Amino acid sequence: MIFKIEDVTVYFPYDNIYPEQYEYMVELKRTLDAKGHCLLEMPTGTGKTIALLSLITSYRLSRPDSPIKLVYCTRTVHEMEKTLAELKVLHDYQVLHLGTQAKILAIGLSSRKNLCVNTKVLAAENRDSVDAACRKRTASWVRALSTENPNIELCDYFENYEKAAENALLPPGVYTLEDLRAFGKNRGWCPYFLARHMVQFANVIVYSYQYLLDPKVAGIISKELQKESVVVFDEAHNIDNVCIEALSVSVRRVTLEGANRNLNKIREEIDRSKATDAGRLRAEYNRLVEGLALRGDLSGGDQWLANPALPHDILKEAVPGNIRRAEHFVHVLRRLLQYLGVRLDTENVEKESPVSFVSSLNSQAGIEQKTLKFCYDRLQSLMLTLEITDTDEFLPIQTVCDFATLVGTYARGFSIIIEPYDERMPHIPDPILQLSCHDASLAIKPVFDRFQSVVITSGTLSPIDLYPRLLSFTPVVSRSFKMSMTRDCICPMVLTRGSDQLPVSTKFDMRSDPGVVRNYGKLLVEMVSIVPDGVVCFFVSYSYMDGIIATWNETGILKEIMQQKLVFIETQDVVETTLALDNYRRACDCGRGAVFFSVARGKVAEGIDFDRHYGRLVVMYGVPFQYTLSKILLARLEYLRDTFQIKEGDFLTFDALRQAAQCVGRVIRSKADYGMMIFADKRYSRHDKRSKLPGWILSHLRDAHLNLSTDMAIHIAREFLRKMAQPYDKTGTMGRKTLLTQEDLEKMAETGVQDMAY
Amino acid sequence: MSNQRKRLTGEREDEDDEDAEGIGEWERAYVDDRSWEELQEDESGLLRPIDNSAIYHAQYRRRLRMLSAAAAGTRIQKGLIRYLYIVIDFSRAAAEMDFRPSRIAVMAKHIEAFIREFFDQNPLSQIGLVSIKNGVAHTLTDLGGSPETHIKALMGKLEALGDSSLQNALELVNEHLSQVPSYGHREVLILYSALCTCDPGDIMETIQKCKKSKLRCSVIGLSAEMFICKHLCQETGGLYSVAVDEVHLKDLLLEHAPPPPAIAEFAIANLIKMGFPQRAAEGSMAICSCHKEVKIGAGYMCPRCKARVCDLPTECTICGLTLVSSPHLARSYHHLFPIAPFDEVPAFSSLNDSRRTLGKSCFGCQQSLIGTGNKPGPCVTCRKCKHYFCLDCDIYIHESLHNCPGCESIHRPKSVSLMEE
Repeated sequence: MIFKIEDVTVYFPYDNIYPEQYEYMVELKRTLDAKGHCLLEMPTGTGKTIALLSLITSYRLSRPDSPIKLVYCTRTVHEMEKTLAELKVLHDYQVLHLGTQAKILAIGLSSRKNLCVNTKVLAAENRDSVDAACRKRTASWVRALSTENPNIELCDYFENYEKAAENALLPPGVYTLEDLRAFGKNRGWCPYFLARHMVQFANVIVYSYQYLLDPKVAGIISKELQKESVVVFDEAHNIDNVCIEALSVSVRRVTLEGANRNLNKIREEIDRSKATDAGRLRAEYNRLVEGLALRGDLSGGDQWLANPALPHDILKEAVPGNIRRAEHFVHVLRRLLQYLGVRLDTENVEKESPVSFVSSLNSQAGIEQKTLKFCYDRLQSLMLTLEITDTDEFLPIQTVCDFATLVGTYARGFSIIIEPYDERMPHIPDPILQLSCHDASLAIKPVFDRFQSVVITSGTLSPIDLYPRLLSFTPVVSRSFKMSMTRDCICPMVLTRGSDQLPVSTKFDMRSDPGVVRNYGKLLVEMVSIVPDGVVCFFVSYSYMDGIIATWNETGILKEIMQQKLVFIETQDVVETTLALDNYRRACDCGRGAVFFSVARGKVAEGIDFDRHYGRLVVMYGVPFQYTLSKILLARLEYLRDTFQIKEGDFLTFDALRQAAQCVGRVIRSKADYGMMIFADKRYSRHDKRSKLPGWILSHLRDAHLNLSTDMAIHIAREFLRKMAQPYDKTGTMGRKTLLTQEDLEKMAETGVQDMAY
Repeated sequence: MSNQRKRLTGEREDEDDEDAEGIGEWERAYVDDRSWEELQEDESGLLRPIDNSAIYHAQYRRRLRMLSAAAAGTRIQKGLIRYLYIVIDFSRAAAEMDFRPSRIAVMAKHIEAFIREFFDQNPLSQIGLVSIKNGVAHTLTDLGGSPETHIKALMGKLEALGDSSLQNALELVNEHLSQVPSYGHREVLILYSALCTCDPGDIMETIQKCKKSKLRCSVIGLSAEMFICKHLCQETGGLYSVAVDEVHLKDLLLEHAPPPPAIAEFAIANLIKMGFPQRAAEGSMAICSCHKEVKIGAGYMCPRCKARVCDLPTECTICGLTLVSSPHLARSYHHLFPIAPFDEVPAFSSLNDSRRTLGKSCFGCQQSLIGTGNKPGPCVTCRKCKHYFCLDCDIYIHESLHNCPGCESIHRPKSVSLMEE
């Protein structure tokens, strides 16, 4: 359908549109008009992605004189593919109606592992070794050498791509990763380098968060993006954590040992190249002296990981004198490693600010702050000079330099925490030195500054006013949309008591109480006997899950559950979990029914959908608070209180509730779907906790469902499941219009959006 | 009418607001009934029961339209000779008490009613019963045309035990039905109260097997929607529904009584040899071939081998001839030529038309069509004969009589030509 939002003609590839999608587009359009940033919360299953894509591409078409670029960031490759598939549908529709002038170039960009077509390179098992295998075949000096020595293996795809040079272009269209690989194979061009080259020409780019947020990568991939870009962060409820992780480093004993080995190897390399080709080291030295290039770009074509600190934080300074010479630099690194080793030997937990850490480093190891700041750059330059290709082996020393640069650059918003052992396993010595970032706004600030509009959107962004504070920006629009539904297809309940009326909670003093464990078990036993197909349970942590399952096993509760449904458990092992999920789905498909035990904040809670019969009920056992004794969390809380005036309790509750909402939100993925959610903890009935749940859950949480005991919940569940099993009327009746046609929209445009029927 | 509807939605909102959880079981009956809300004050201040007939009628008409919608465009073929297996799940879940007194009792009661209704509507068809208990499917009765034997077998075995297995039941039924003659329509109706199925093998293969042998599987669930049941029904072209309460369960069951549309590729015309036995003379004594008992009078004689049988329709145990009576055939006939649904007469046009041309009474029962307050009551009209009928007669004509009195009285001399249409 084609309709107008104010002065923009929107091309929407479906015949009907949900009212909330329309509203979403209106708000988005205003944001684009205002050239500002926005926060939009809309429940999953309402077609957020298509609304977003269709508005932004239509906006672009309506302003041909100032074309905007869309940069769409997703969390996983799977989501990337889904987005591109939707864009394809949209693009076909627009081309059908507008002809070739609507053609755009849209590409997905991912790591070499996902894009490479060279079978020999792909044989490597993880991402880093694929990268290294690729470099071994494509680095400029390797290629230069191969002209003399034909035995050196090169990548044909890359050679062809290089030969085509300027002519290596993608024709307009929408390319998923699969399409890119097919195109590359067909033409014999390397899809990875082609895609990276096309980033500057493409109208729509879909890639991962890291390409924008992680300064190491962003500097290379995203530096050519124009200001008139719209950056979208989808599923962005965890964006603050992503930002923080991008700037946090942890160093263990293993890292130091690896780094030492790396240094030895570098040393050998230096000696060798001194013997064979002294001129090269000298040339690099001269370049650094002249300060011409911050990075010793030896031969143009090789782009390396850039500085982990943010571009604007490194002023145009030349590399300090004491590390210009390769040998000196290696000495400095040795001293740094030694110092870190001594610090790791501590018996106590230590917490320090970067400033005091740097000053003690200066006094004890004689390395000053400015030197630290340039460690990472200097290492990269050295590795280029030494022509080292197997970069995956040099990860430990890179980590250490990364650490050094961050410590040297930032004085605020970070802290250094040294723990001699894991808090939960005090008898196993496992010293770890962590540089943790507390300020999410540091990593995202350049994104806000550089681009015209940044859209942060997700199914759960509540409370929506906290995000601008955490990320320190001012949105022009921040709104939470409700889901219009033809029937009440979600049924959230707060269960506070067991059938014996004793309260249940995972509060620290109550969680191991046998009464609570029994009541939790009984709840599940009752529920599996009345809920068909799939049931998902989320626990607050792995250790709690292990404990409670062991107790259930002893008391025979697990056996009772197994009579009704098969039981599958998430573990920390990815392969095992994938297998469990696979079998869980099969058990749901063939009617046997299954229960999946999982952990909030785990992989499953973040990325796996339990839609339709794969999840008819999700039980959230307890409130998934973070481990509050963790030193890092405490430091972050302190920082948040001092800098942003966010109370500790508020932040913890917010974080726990968004995880809970994320977990229960897994069950519903479309409007035709239905599912129940049980929050099994008495603390959920308190207003301060409950009110932080997203609006679309709250609006279905009736007062009568706030303080339930197990038997009442059973009764409600029974009725709900019966009601939902009745035939589903798609269009909606009784004045609750949930599918708008073209005429409805035209009518609405005349009367104003406010009259929209909900 | 619109006024009433508004009231009705108003009621529903009230019910939503009502805190239905905080009440005890003993109060619930009153809340569910809400008998006080079925009263209405009329103009003179007297309490009267709300006239719900209009709403019931609307519901009925929707059902009717749904049924005729498929038939409207093309003349649809219907399978009049059905071989239906009823599978009843007597697993652990059937002992639950959410239907009073228990699911198993309620199921048995309504299956009994269904069997009677089924033979009433499909006199040429046969039923067999299968039960699932302890994960194994048992045959309760083989295919047969006598309601009494089925009901007796069903009532004898009311206990619920163990797991349930959909696959075992389907395999058993499939085996039984593979022997029925090709002109018959194979159907299974499963009453499933469990929420899982413990199968010995891959149920997907069994479903494909059922699909291949043209077995139409329908499931009525008693507790919630199960994916595998839905999948089974979709694959084999059956209906899947879940009962909300006892009344709904009954409705859902009875929906399966009229013959379903025939599967297209299966519906080949076929000639079937049938015998129309005569009722044996009163007082003559004979040994019946079905029970091997000496009986005086009562019973029918097979026209081919002269054997005595007790009930019709059946298959002669001696010569294997299908024995029916002509009324049975006639009763099946209306499924092929249903009377078209009547048109609803809009409220104000009836004010002019109906009064002027037809007076004020229903053609069927001669009751006045004028409602309270001298307003014309709701009524319907037949498309062919243009006669007006009241709502009660409408339902009676479509559901029981299967003839329109108006058309019949006009076209009586030409009824042969009507049949040819």
